[in-house]
Amino acid sequence: MQPLLHLDNVSKRYGAVRVLDGIDITVADNEFLTILGPSGSGKTTILRIIGGFEGIDGGRLMFEGRDLSAVPINRRPFNTVFQDYALFHHMTVAENVGYGLKVRGRPKAEIAERVAEVLDTVGLGTLGGRYPALMSGGQRQRVALARAIICEPRLILLDEPLSALDVELRAQMQRFLKSLQRRLGIAFVFITHDQEEAIALSDRIIVVNRGRIEQEGAPEELYRRPRTPFTASFLGDNNLIPGRLAAVDGRLCTVDTAAGRLDATVDGPAPAPGSAVLLAVRPEHVRLDADPAARDGLPADVADVRFLGANVMIELLTPALPGAVIKVRRLADGAVAGLRPGASVRLGWAADDAALLQAAP
Amino acid sequence: MGVMNTPLRRDRQDLLRAGLGHALNLGLPLLFVVIPILSFVVVSFWTLQDGQILLIPTLANYRAFFTEGSYLSVYLQTVGLSLQVTLVNVALSTAIALFIFRRTPRMRFLILMSFMLPLFMSYIIKVYSIRSILGQRGLLNEAMLGLGLIDQPIEALLFSRTAIFIALAVLYLPYAILPIYLALDRIPANYLAACADLGATPLQALRDVVLPLARPGIAAGAVFTFILTFGDFVTPQMVGGTQGFTFGRIVFSQFGLALNWPLGSALAVILLATTLLAVALAGLSLRREHVR
Amino acid sequence: MKQKAPCLDALLGLVAGLGLIALYAPLLATGALSFFQIVRVRGTLGFAPFSLDPYVALLANGEILAALSTSLVVATVSSLLALVLALMFAFYFVSARRGLGIAMQIMVFLPFLLPPIITGLSLLIAFREIDLGRGLVTIIIAHVVFIVPVVYRTVLVRLQLLGSSLTEASLDLGASRVQTLRYVILPQLRPALISGVLLAFAISFDETLITLFVAGSQTTLPIRLWAMMRVGFVPEINALATLIFLCTAAITFAIGLMQRAGERV
Repeated sequence: MQPLLHLDNVSKRYGAVRVLDGIDITVADNEFLTILGPSGSGKTTILRIIGGFEGIDGGRLMFEGRDLSAVPINRRPFNTVFQDYALFHHMTVAENVGYGLKVRGRPKAEIAERVAEVLDTVGLGTLGGRYPALMSGGQRQRVALARAIICEPRLILLDEPLSALDVELRAQMQRFLKSLQRRLGIAFVFITHDQEEAIALSDRIIVVNRGRIEQEGAPEELYRRPRTPFTASFLGDNNLIPGRLAAVDGRLCTVDTAAGRLDATVDGPAPAPGSAVLLAVRPEHVRLDADPAARDGLPADVADVRFLGANVMIELLTPALPGAVIKVRRLADGAVAGLRPGASVRLGWAADDAALLQAAP
Repeated sequence: MGVMNTPLRRDRQDLLRAGLGHALNLGLPLLFVVIPILSFVVVSFWTLQDGQILLIPTLANYRAFFTEGSYLSVYLQTVGLSLQVTLVNVALSTAIALFIFRRTPRMRFLILMSFMLPLFMSYIIKVYSIRSILGQRGLLNEAMLGLGLIDQPIEALLFSRTAIFIALAVLYLPYAILPIYLALDRIPANYLAACADLGATPLQALRDVVLPLARPGIAAGAVFTFILTFGDFVTPQMVGGTQGFTFGRIVFSQFGLALNWPLGSALAVILLATTLLAVALAGLSLRREHVR
Repeated sequence: MKQKAPCLDALLGLVAGLGLIALYAPLLATGALSFFQIVRVRGTLGFAPFSLDPYVALLANGEILAALSTSLVVATVSSLLALVLALMFAFYFVSARRGLGIAMQIMVFLPFLLPPIITGLSLLIAFREIDLGRGLVTIIIAHVVFIVPVVYRTVLVRLQLLGSSLTEASLDLGASRVQTLRYVILPQLRPALISGVLLAFAISFDETLITLFVAGSQTTLPIRLWAMMRVGFVPEINALATLIFLCTAAITFAIGLMQRAGERV
C-alpha cells in the first residue's frame, strides 16, 4: 500500500552542520507516529520539513505519491500544533479555531457551525468567546488542537505539545490525544523527547539521534528488543555489558565478557562472531538472590538502595565487571526490605532477557 | 538600654535616608518639570498691560485666541497640516517597517539603522539642506530642468505649505518607522508560521495578524509624528517663509518679538491640550487591545 | 520562516527605497556641497572642482568653533548629570512603593513626551520666576531635563531585566548592599549606561527647539547655525555638518552594536 507521506532519503544542512542525514520515514494513514529523540537530534527539523517551514537539501518529500517539496506551507494538507501553541492573542478562541476556514473564504455561518462542532470535540464547547490569555495551559492546548483539526487535514504535526504542562495534566492530555486521534482517524506525527510519552501514545516510534534514524518499530518491540546502544539507553533504563560475540546458535548467542561467558538472544541477523557487542539487560529483569547459601550467578555487593515509591532501585557493584554499576529495579515489598548497602548478593538474568546489540563503532 | 540603642538609632538613620530618597526622587522632577509647566499655565491667566505683566487674573488671553486676528484659523490650518503629515508618514512608515520586518534577522538591524541614522544628522542643517534642495534655483528644480521634465522652475516648491509639508515629512519619518518596527518585532515568530500552516496567504496573514498586532506601534508612531510636527516652529519658519505661519511659530513669537508672555502661554496651553488630546485619542483607539 | 510574496515585497521595497532617498538627500547634498561648491556661470548651474576649502575655512571660523566648544561642554556636562540622575531614578523605581515610582516616572518622562516648545517655554518662565539669568546654566538644566528620560529608560530596562535574583544571590553570599552595587549591578548595567549616555550626548548636542528659549546670549552650535542661516550661508557649514554626521554615524553604530551585545548577555 502506498504510504500517506514519505520522506525519501531527506538531508538538511544549516551551513556546514548536517542536521539530517539521509532520513527515510513513511507515515501511514490513521497512524499515531512518534519521532523520539533528545534535543539536537533533528526531530524538530523533520517536523518543520513536513510542515513546509524548512526546505530540504537532498531527497524527496512525497505525499500520496506527489512531490511536495515545491508546495508552499499554506497549500499543504497538514496542520501543526505548535510547541507553545502559537494562539493569536488578539483573537478569541472561536476566531482562532475558525481562522483556517476564514482564510479559505468559507461563509460565516458555516464557520460558526464548524467551530462549535470542533470545540465540542475537544471539550471546550462554551469557551468560544474567551481570549486565549485567560485560559489554562490545558485549555490552550485543546484550542490549538481544535484549530489544527478544523480544516480536516490528512496529517497533524504536533511539536512537543505537552512539554509545557505539569505532570497530572500531561497524563490527562495524553489520554485525550490518543482518543482524539482514534476518533478522527487522522494520522498524527508527534515529536517528543519524552520516552514514556512516546511509549504511551504511539502506534509506532522512530528513534532519531544526531540526524539519523536509530531504530523504528512498535513501542513494545523497541522497548524489548533495542538494536542499538542508543535506543537501549534512551528508551527506559538498561544495563549494558560489553563483550565479544563468541558463537551464534539460532537466536541464542554466547558472549565473552569480563565476567565470563554469558548468554543472550538476538532478533534478526546476528553480528559476525568475534565482533564487539553489548548485552542489554533491563533493571527489572535482573535476578537478585540475597541468600548467603546461593551459588548461582555473579557475586556482587549492594552499593546503594533508593526508594522510588512503588519501586526500589538497587545499585550493585560486582568484581566480575569492574567499573560497571548494575541497576536492579524491584517492587518495594518485603523481599527487598532487608537490603542495605554493603550486603552481599548474587545476580543473574535469563538469556531471553538479555538483548544482543552491535556495539557502537 | 545599650542593647536597644543601636537598632533604634539604626531605624532613625534608615528613616532619614528613605526621606532623603523620596525628597530627591520626587522633589527634583517636581521642581524642574511639574512646577515649570504649572507656572506657564498660571502665566496664561495674567494680564499684560503696557508691556508689563500684571498679576490680575483674566481670560482675555484665551478670548484672544478665539476672536482676535488669525490665531484660530492658523491653529486649524496647523492641525490640518500635522494630521496630513501624520497620515502620510504613518502609511509610509508602516510599509517601510514591514519591508524591514520581512528581511532576514541579520539584515534587519542594518536596514533599520540606515533608516535611523539621518536622525543623528544636525536638525538645523537638514532643514537648511531641504531648503536648498527645494529652492527656486534649488537642486530639485535644477535637476528637473536638466532632465527636461519642466521648462520653468517650480516656484511653489519653497516658501509654501507644500514645502513645510515635505520638510516635516522628511525630518520626522524615522520617528514613525521605529515604533512600528518595534511592534512588528514583538510578534512571536511562530504566529506567522501558524498563519501559513492554517492556509493563509501572506496578504491574509498581514491583514489578520501582522497589522492588528502592529496597531500599538502605529498609534505610537502617529502620536510622535503629530506632536513633533505640531510643535515644530523652526522648520516652518525656514522653509515656509511668510506662507508658513504655523501655530508653533505664533507661540514662539510671543516670547520673542511680540513679547506677550501671557498670550503666548495661553496659546501654548492650547497647543499642549491639543497634543494631550492626540495622545488620549490614540490611547482610546487601543482600548480594545488585549493582554496576551 | 517567511512566506514568499514577490509582489508585496516589490511594493514595500519601492516605498523603502524612496524613503531612503528622501531621508538621505539632505545628507548627501550637504556632503557633496562640502567638496564641490555650486557655481553659476551665466545662470546655468555647475560644480566647482573638488576642494577642501570649506574645511580649511572652518578651522578659521572663530564663531562656529566657539559655538562648537560650547555645545561640546553642554552635551558632556548634561549627559553626565543625566547619567547620575537616571541611575538614581531607576533604582528608586525598582525599590520604592509602586505608586511613588510611577509618579516619579511620569514626571521624568513628561519633558520627552511633550512637544519641545512646551518644555522650552515652561522652563523659560520658571527661570524668570526665580530670576535665573539665561546662559550656560539654564541651557544645561534644560538639556538635563530633556535627556534624563532617555538614559533612565535604557538603564531601567536593563535593571528590570536583571531581576532581583542577582542581588539576592550576592547578598546571600555575604556581600553588603554597596558591594553588591559595585561588583554585581553596575557591571551588568554598563552597556546600558554607555549607550544611554552616548544617545543623550547626541540629543543634547543637536537640541535646537528648547535651547532657543533658554539660551539667552549664549549660543550652542545649532543656535549659531540657525542664526547664520537666516542671513546667508557659508560653505564651511556644509563641511562642519559633514564632519559631525560622520562622527555621529560612527557613534550610532557603536551604540547599536553595544545594545545588541547587551541583549545577548
